[in-house]
Amino acid sequence: MRLGIVGAGQAACTLIAELIRGDFKGDILVFNGETHAPYQRPPLSKNWLKTSDDPTSLRLLPEPLETHPSIQWIQTSVQSLSPDQGLVTTDQGTYSVDHLVLATGTTAIKPSIPGLASESIHVIRTLDHALRLKKSLEGVTNITIIGAGFLAFELASSLADPSRTIRILAKGIRALPQVAVKTADRLVDQAPASIRVGVEIERFDETTKALVTNHGSIPTDLVIAAIGAQPNAELATACGLGSSDGIPVDEFMQTAHPKVSAIGEVSLHHQPHLNRIQRIESISEANDSASVCAKRLLGHPEPFQTIPWFWSDQGDAKLQIAGLCDRTDEETCLIESETELVMIRHQGQRVTAIEALNSAKEFMAARRLLDQGDLALDDLLQAGSVFARLQSSRS
Amino acid sequence: MPQLTCINPNEQAIDVSFEPGETILQATYRAGVDGILAECGGGCSCATCHVILNGNWDGTLEEPSVQEADMLSFAVDPTPYSRLACQVRLTDQHEGLTLAVAKRQY
Repeated sequence: MRLGIVGAGQAACTLIAELIRGDFKGDILVFNGETHAPYQRPPLSKNWLKTSDDPTSLRLLPEPLETHPSIQWIQTSVQSLSPDQGLVTTDQGTYSVDHLVLATGTTAIKPSIPGLASESIHVIRTLDHALRLKKSLEGVTNITIIGAGFLAFELASSLADPSRTIRILAKGIRALPQVAVKTADRLVDQAPASIRVGVEIERFDETTKALVTNHGSIPTDLVIAAIGAQPNAELATACGLGSSDGIPVDEFMQTAHPKVSAIGEVSLHHQPHLNRIQRIESISEANDSASVCAKRLLGHPEPFQTIPWFWSDQGDAKLQIAGLCDRTDEETCLIESETELVMIRHQGQRVTAIEALNSAKEFMAARRLLDQGDLALDDLLQAGSVFARLQSSRS
Repeated sequence: MPQLTCINPNEQAIDVSFEPGETILQATYRAGVDGILAECGGGCSCATCHVILNGNWDGTLEEPSVQEADMLSFAVDPTPYSRLACQVRLTDQHEGLTLAVAKRQY
């Protein structure tokens, strides 16, 4: 069997590692549209941005896998797919495969700001983005980050420096709308940035070097947009297998075409924990969907069933979230101390997520309990901590 | 380069060269040692890079942080010698260290 993988990010590399580990009988062609060998993305906005400019420390695949004889790396972008014929067309030629896995990921969205060329707006999604940002920092004193999600706050922490003023501009009514108000408040308090909400950007004024907004003029030497990403589904859409929402797949990561699968952030599938179809951007989604796909390709299919989890480094604070909630889910505080905070997100009695700030035990316990599928609000409140609830469920 | 010895989950001993300053995770990952998943990429966030140091080791490693110890308490069958590979930074003094990769990461 000849397998083609489009993309070389986290999901693609987990798939490769699991196939090789599972003694996959066949050849693997990996189409990597980037000029770098596979690398980890999460550190790009975290510690790596602050402390390193050595891309080798980000390597995603160990050398024995990267140089494995059954893998052929093709360093080029894919132009089109013909699933029926099993053909992948690139500017280096057309390749024939028996099965295709699309792991094309997402692209950062850039806002359009009159007076500012699109190239002048930084985003962080790829290693090249991060390297370019590092190079642009010299002499910069006023950094404006557009968007107020985890990425914006991570960037603010990583770029914090006495010589710089960092401002985070949120369009919405509050920062970090993904997490509970109390969690967001804690992170906003600790952030080395000033945060403004309800900001509408009108334009960039070149003479005063400022963003003109409904909150007045904001001095800006460098703009970073952290307003989300869109799925790279064009190749799939062109052959009727995707849309601007992503690439729909079943619980085995199979698209509507028997020769094509999709994994990672671009895949759109039923999330058992949420009981709805949703695209999720996280390492856990990349790893878990890749693992499901690998098992199917190795002949031991098992459906997708894991719960998502997330983490974010905010300076010295570590936020870990087990599960995924709607922004409108209720919030109840479980543990609060000077350093720790554990918030329960829930819909009535049904717990949808646990947000743990500097509380690794609570986070790990929540993952276990959510995996087991039994987590009721009253049980947690009675136990006083997720960890205690886990212990009592074991005894 | 100094070396450590890593026992993989299939109980094969693998010699791993390391640069002082890098973590056990970086060194073992580069060497392609099986069984260390490190889902979070070395961020002390997932407890899937669980390794067990040889009990005879003389203790020139710093103690785990509270965060690491908490994560370790959720690893599969942790021991007093358990560590997260992403959190142990190696120095020249660790020449000859032996460690085993946990049989299961979850």
